[in-house]
Amino acid sequence: MNSSSPPLAQGNSGTVLRVEGLRVAYEHARGVVRAVDDVSFSLRPHERFGLAGESGSGKSTMALAILRMIKPPGHIDGGEVWLEDIALSTLTHDAIRRLRLAGVAMVPQGSMNSLNPVARIRDQIADAIADHGGNLSRRDLAARIRSLLGQVGLPPEIAEKYPHELSGGMKQRACIAIAICLRPKVIIADEPTSALDVVVQRQVMETLGRVQADLGAAVILVGHDMGLMAQFVDRLGIMYAGRLVEVAPIRDIITAPRHPYTRLLIDSLPSLEHKGGLRGIPGLAPLLRDLPPGCAFHPRCPRAEARCRDTKPAVRPMGPDATVACHLA
Amino acid sequence: MLQYLRRNTSLVVGIVLLGILVVFMVVGAFTVDTSNVQPLSVPVLQPPSWDYPFGTDRQGRDLLAVMVAGTPLTLWIGFVAGFIGVGVGAVLAFTAAYYGGMVDTLIRSIADIGLTIPGLLVLIIIAVSLKGSLTVNQMAIVVASLAWLNPTRTIRSQVLTLRERGYVEIARLNGMSGPEIIARELMPNLLPYLAATLVSSVSAAILASVGLEVLGLGPVEAPTLGMTLYWVFFNAAIINGWWWWWTAPLVVIVMVFLGLFFLTVGLDEIANPRLRRIA
Amino acid sequence: MTPLIELRDVTKTFSGGTLGRERKVALERFSFAIDPDRPRVTAVVGESGSGKTTLARLLLGLLRPTEGEVRFDGRNLQRLSSAGRRDFRHRVQAIFQDPYEVYNPFYRVDHVLTTPVHKFRLARSAAEGRAQIEAALHAVGLQPDEILGRYPHQLSGGQRQRIMVARALLLRPRLIVADEPVSMVDASLRATILGSLRKLHEELGISILYITHDLATAYQVADTILVMYRAAVAEAGDVEAVVKSPQHPYTQLLVGSIPRVSTVRDWAVEQPQAEREISAAGCKFADRCPVAMARCLTSAPPLFQTAPHRAAACFLYENAPALPEGKVATVLVPA
Repeated sequence: MNSSSPPLAQGNSGTVLRVEGLRVAYEHARGVVRAVDDVSFSLRPHERFGLAGESGSGKSTMALAILRMIKPPGHIDGGEVWLEDIALSTLTHDAIRRLRLAGVAMVPQGSMNSLNPVARIRDQIADAIADHGGNLSRRDLAARIRSLLGQVGLPPEIAEKYPHELSGGMKQRACIAIAICLRPKVIIADEPTSALDVVVQRQVMETLGRVQADLGAAVILVGHDMGLMAQFVDRLGIMYAGRLVEVAPIRDIITAPRHPYTRLLIDSLPSLEHKGGLRGIPGLAPLLRDLPPGCAFHPRCPRAEARCRDTKPAVRPMGPDATVACHLA
Repeated sequence: MLQYLRRNTSLVVGIVLLGILVVFMVVGAFTVDTSNVQPLSVPVLQPPSWDYPFGTDRQGRDLLAVMVAGTPLTLWIGFVAGFIGVGVGAVLAFTAAYYGGMVDTLIRSIADIGLTIPGLLVLIIIAVSLKGSLTVNQMAIVVASLAWLNPTRTIRSQVLTLRERGYVEIARLNGMSGPEIIARELMPNLLPYLAATLVSSVSAAILASVGLEVLGLGPVEAPTLGMTLYWVFFNAAIINGWWWWWTAPLVVIVMVFLGLFFLTVGLDEIANPRLRRIA
Repeated sequence: MTPLIELRDVTKTFSGGTLGRERKVALERFSFAIDPDRPRVTAVVGESGSGKTTLARLLLGLLRPTEGEVRFDGRNLQRLSSAGRRDFRHRVQAIFQDPYEVYNPFYRVDHVLTTPVHKFRLARSAAEGRAQIEAALHAVGLQPDEILGRYPHQLSGGQRQRIMVARALLLRPRLIVADEPVSMVDASLRATILGSLRKLHEELGISILYITHDLATAYQVADTILVMYRAAVAEAGDVEAVVKSPQHPYTQLLVGSIPRVSTVRDWAVEQPQAEREISAAGCKFADRCPVAMARCLTSAPPLFQTAPHRAAACFLYENAPALPEGKVATVLVPA
């Protein structure tokens, strides 16, 4: 699990986050389940990277694995994550804790559930700062909280409120404020708007984008809404059955997707342009503990060939920013 | 199944303890002469010996026979009262929780008022007012009169959590009536919880009956565990050093309560999956 | 023509808080009707708090109106005889949002299919009932031997929701109220499930009321649309017209806020407006409206019929004739 070469030798010039060969496995009564299977990608500074997939694809597990927050019976089975020049597997428990929020921050899914219902917003932000080593005087802390709330477009009086007094969108923006309080280099947003109405969603995403630009941070947006990805991210990775089956700049994914699943996913989205009949993807997503042989997508793929049933396609680079895992690409 | 039993130690301990008692009662019924339960059957105040393994008491009763005959009686009182308590309580609880409104307010208020009055006090008053001596079955009814109060409240809160479930709405859309929904949709989901409530209700009933009996308000002629203890105090057995007289009923009572307690905890774990320990 | 089901001037308020002092108006003076002779797929689109779920529950008889009446076949729902109620339950059915909650975990999934067959006497023998169930499952794209005999937790959300559509199919109702039927289902399965619903309408002439916050699926599936905002109708009419050229400022905001899969980044952000005080009788959208006028703060516009097939509740269209109270259904016709 530890990289054989010392961390500094991996000169990651140009990337703020690099994931290489990451594997996450769960022990199940009936065997081992690979929730994340050999995933590699890198993130440049200021970049917006989308991680799209449906339920059971492993995208949320990916996000947790980057933050090293996988709970037993799951565990990281292989691979490495580098934050700039630091290999995360070489860090102690305490060092990782400090890195969370200060290096890589997470805006979790379902804002309603992640805020402490009996603490005021200002206390929750202050706790986050204190918990990760921040040592500010009371006046500095108050100023910092006010500034953070301003950055996410919330008026200063919100600091005194309890979560139940805020709307869904405001709660989510408060979560963003907590996530950025220590100026992280990478913000991972896991389905930050899934519980929100579409107008509020736009506001929250606009806030996230602005905050990212101010901090010069990179963002990983985990979700399943391709429209949201199309309007927000620079590059998109598609996950299926624990593997990253395609990565490409967003324009290329929309205009010329290489993997059949990507193409079907885009086609299955209802358009607002013309009534064209709804198209789905036939079949069901496979259970991770019961994957088909060869390419996990072949039972549902309209272009499957014999070799798709026999051999798992390897991830191949397709240019400087793109990869695909398909025999036919 | 066996795997689960290994994890749920409470359930196993409870079953084992109660199992020992059952074996004791059954084997005893066949091997021990229960006519020796009557006073003046055997020599008085014998310490435990080969002839009389539990010794004898001051009235000339073989204590082993008393235990063999009395334990099932005490348990019987507990079961009858417990069953009536949970039966009546469940009906009231489902009705109150499902229909809500005035019905709920009425049932809930009666139960709440009933719960604030000290139960033992009420039982004493009832027992004292009954003329003549009680039979074992009458004792069960006396205890049952209050046994339904707590089950009503606890089962009601469980039903309230289920009432808003989607499948209840679908049932309404199927044209099912209230009682039908209660019986076919809600009740089956509460069976483990009802079982746990039943066991704790039986336990509480036994405690109440023993309590009344120790005060002399029980079925005086029956050799129940509580009445035996009554005679123990009546005859100052502790001061007089007739230790065998109070040891036997005490041990049995402790086994009954511990067995029922562990059984309740074990059933609670089945009823509430969140309490299950991860293997 | 007696409407199959109609809401007449219905207001629904929920009271809560200490001593019932807080009152929330979920639906205000709402009138609506479903024509039994011309089955349609109507979408009801709104955000949380718009009243769309309350509307669904009132139509299904799961809620009682605070004011006004809900009528089935011309008769007040509250006063139906038991035979009348049975008829109502047979003719008006529902598909709910959560495919987990609607299954009783104690029973196998067969239970949701066999119960209506039994309660509504759809079959004369067990074999006939079984045949009907299998046919319904086939019609929604499921294999009976993969489904029957299983417990709910053994099936996926998409399968469970399709079983619910099969259940509605078994009953052959006149109206299906589908409350967010695909929002908890994966994107790739949504099309299949909505496709089955659409098929039910086209092949069996069932009216569908599709309630959702997702304008895109509403556009694809429905013929007509009702856009709701804070307990009242903002805009209504032919779905093509309303989505392609929205008239009410709220609909315009809604349509613009939807992120599209396109290389063009034209995602609109709501512009914050100056603080405005709306009186209780004013237009509910006036505090967010980019084109609000002074009178919008003090009076609420009625629905103006801007074309035979559409209407918008906005003073921008006051030159068009106002729709009489309770007649929104007249514009719910395809263009």
